[in-house]
This record gives sequence, C-alpha cells and structure tokens, in this order.
Amino acid sequence: MKTTVPASPTDQLEVDQDIISRVLAGNRDAFSVLINRYSDPLYRHALGMTGSPDVAEDILQMSFIKAYQHLAEVRGRFDAWVFRIVANGCKDWLKNIRRTHLSYDEDDQPSGYSTPDEELDRTELRSDLDKALMTLAPSLREAFVMKHVEGRSYEEMADLLGTTVGALKMRVHRAREALQALLEEKYA
Amino acid sequence: MLDNLNARDGSGDAGRERPRRASEIAQPLSDREVPLAGTATTSEMINRWLDGEAPEPAALSADSTRQIDLWRRIEEESERRRHLVTPAHVKAQIMAALPTDVPAMALPWWKKSIHVSPVVALAAAAGLVALGAAIGNSMRIR
Repeated sequence: MKTTVPASPTDQLEVDQDIISRVLAGNRDAFSVLINRYSDPLYRHALGMTGSPDVAEDILQMSFIKAYQHLAEVRGRFDAWVFRIVANGCKDWLKNIRRTHLSYDEDDQPSGYSTPDEELDRTELRSDLDKALMTLAPSLREAFVMKHVEGRSYEEMADLLGTTVGALKMRVHRAREALQALLEEKYA
Repeated sequence: MLDNLNARDGSGDAGRERPRRASEIAQPLSDREVPLAGTATTSEMINRWLDGEAPEPAALSADSTRQIDLWRRIEEESERRRHLVTPAHVKAQIMAALPTDVPAMALPWWKKSIHVSPVVALAAAAGLVALGAAIGNSMRIR
C-alpha cells in the first residue's frame, strides 16, 4: 500500500486520525499504512535499546498489536502514543532480562549489523559500542539512542518522553561520558 | 582568647594575610586548575559539536585529537544505524498477527455494560440490607 507523506504535523495528525477512523469502521488493512509510516523509527529505537534484532522485532510486533487493540483510545498524536508503547515494551524487557541475570555477553544474539564487505575494525567498534550501550542505565541509553541513532532533536525527545530539554541534555552528556570512558582505552 | 599559632590558613592571625608558599609563588597562573572564563573543556566542546551547536572542535592536544576521532567513528556508526529499516517480513507478520475483530470503541465508564455474577449480586443485596438495618437501628436509638 502506498504511504502518503504528510506536509506538516497538523496534516499528519489529520491523516492519522482519518486512518484510525477507517480501521475502527472495520477496514483492518488500513492499519498497514500506520505500520509502514512509523515502524522504522520504532524498530531503530527497539534495536538500540535491546541490541538484538529478534527482540526488537518481537517488541515492535507486540506494540503494534497492542496499539491496534486500543486504537479507540488514541488521543492526539498516534506516533507519540505508539512510541510510548514501544518504549515501555523495551523497558519491561530490560527489567526482565536484569531479573534473570542475563548479561549481554551471555545473550548470544547476532548483532544484526555486520555486512560481509565492511572492515573488521568497524565491525569490532559496532560490537563494542553495543556492549558499552548495554552497560548504561536504561534512561541514559534511551536518551543516547534517541539523540544519536534516531537523530531526534532535544525538543522532540522532550515531547515524546514528557521531560525537559535540560534534563535530556544532561542524560545524553552523561551517556557520552560513560561511553567514552568505556571505549577510549581501546579506540582513543 | 588565644591565637592558634599552628594555623596554616591564617585564621589565627586575624587581619593579617596568610603568607604565600614558595610553590604558589613559582606556579604560573595558567598552570593552576582553575577554569578561565570563556574557555571550554574538551568534553564541553565535543558535547556542543555533537549537539550541533558548534563546529567540529580543533584538536588542542593529543588527548583531544583521540577523543574527537573516537566520536567521529561513533557518529559514523550512528549515522549508519539511523538508516536501518524494519525487515520487510516483520510488517507482514504484524498484519497477520492482528486480531480479526475490529478494535472496540472506547466508551465512557457510565456507558459500559456491567456483568455481575449471581453470587456478587446476592452479596451486594445482602450488604445493602445490612446497611439499611444499621441505619434504621441508629435512627431508632436517637
């Protein structure tokens, strides 16, 4: 199905509400427009938070199913609402994995990033960056992933997470400090 | 009150300035660990650069060169991840896994139907009777 790109946030909101109305009226297939439009940034968020493509796919699937079941409860922006579902799914997964004492090293998941033609040191940096990210507190990792991997502005992050720009800057800076401390011995 | 003759900070000699140590006199101002107004540390410069608030900082020392190089590499990797897309099969899987029922419309609580089992209904009725009796008794006592 072809996805139309809305011109402004207001248009986007209207288009999304129109799609939601169609789904609620019984057009189940219309939901695929929302999936096509929003799955990529949500997948990147889940992948950045969990470090595992398989887990990211599961979280994305569960989140969209939950969003579909509660679609009538959407008030305001669908993308912000579904982002919160995914973000909570990631946090729940992280809580469970800590409870079962499964460390990143023990979780022998493929990184999903390596491609055969890329240089060995880049692959190594990827792996080390993933491991370093997994040692960060979830709130710091979330801020770093949203800023660096998802390329969001601080204002957008504040809007999605319901916090202030200053607090988020502080989290990102602390995450950078921690990552630098972990990686500079080997790479700097 | 006695003066503290052992004080090294000058507190025992009120009004008199503490004599400077030789090391302090010899140390030039630029070597002291006091941030000067208008200068930023390497960490601050890197943060401003990564936040898009300043251009890439010029390396001032070997340490800062290495730090900047590390962040350049992390940024390259982040940029690559920024273009990752959802695997195609995942979207199809999500659509296939959606419930076949149309999502329920959200109703305000007073419009929602209430399902009460016979046991709960009996318990509620007994509770109401007991409450009525208690109120009746309290009124008779007065």
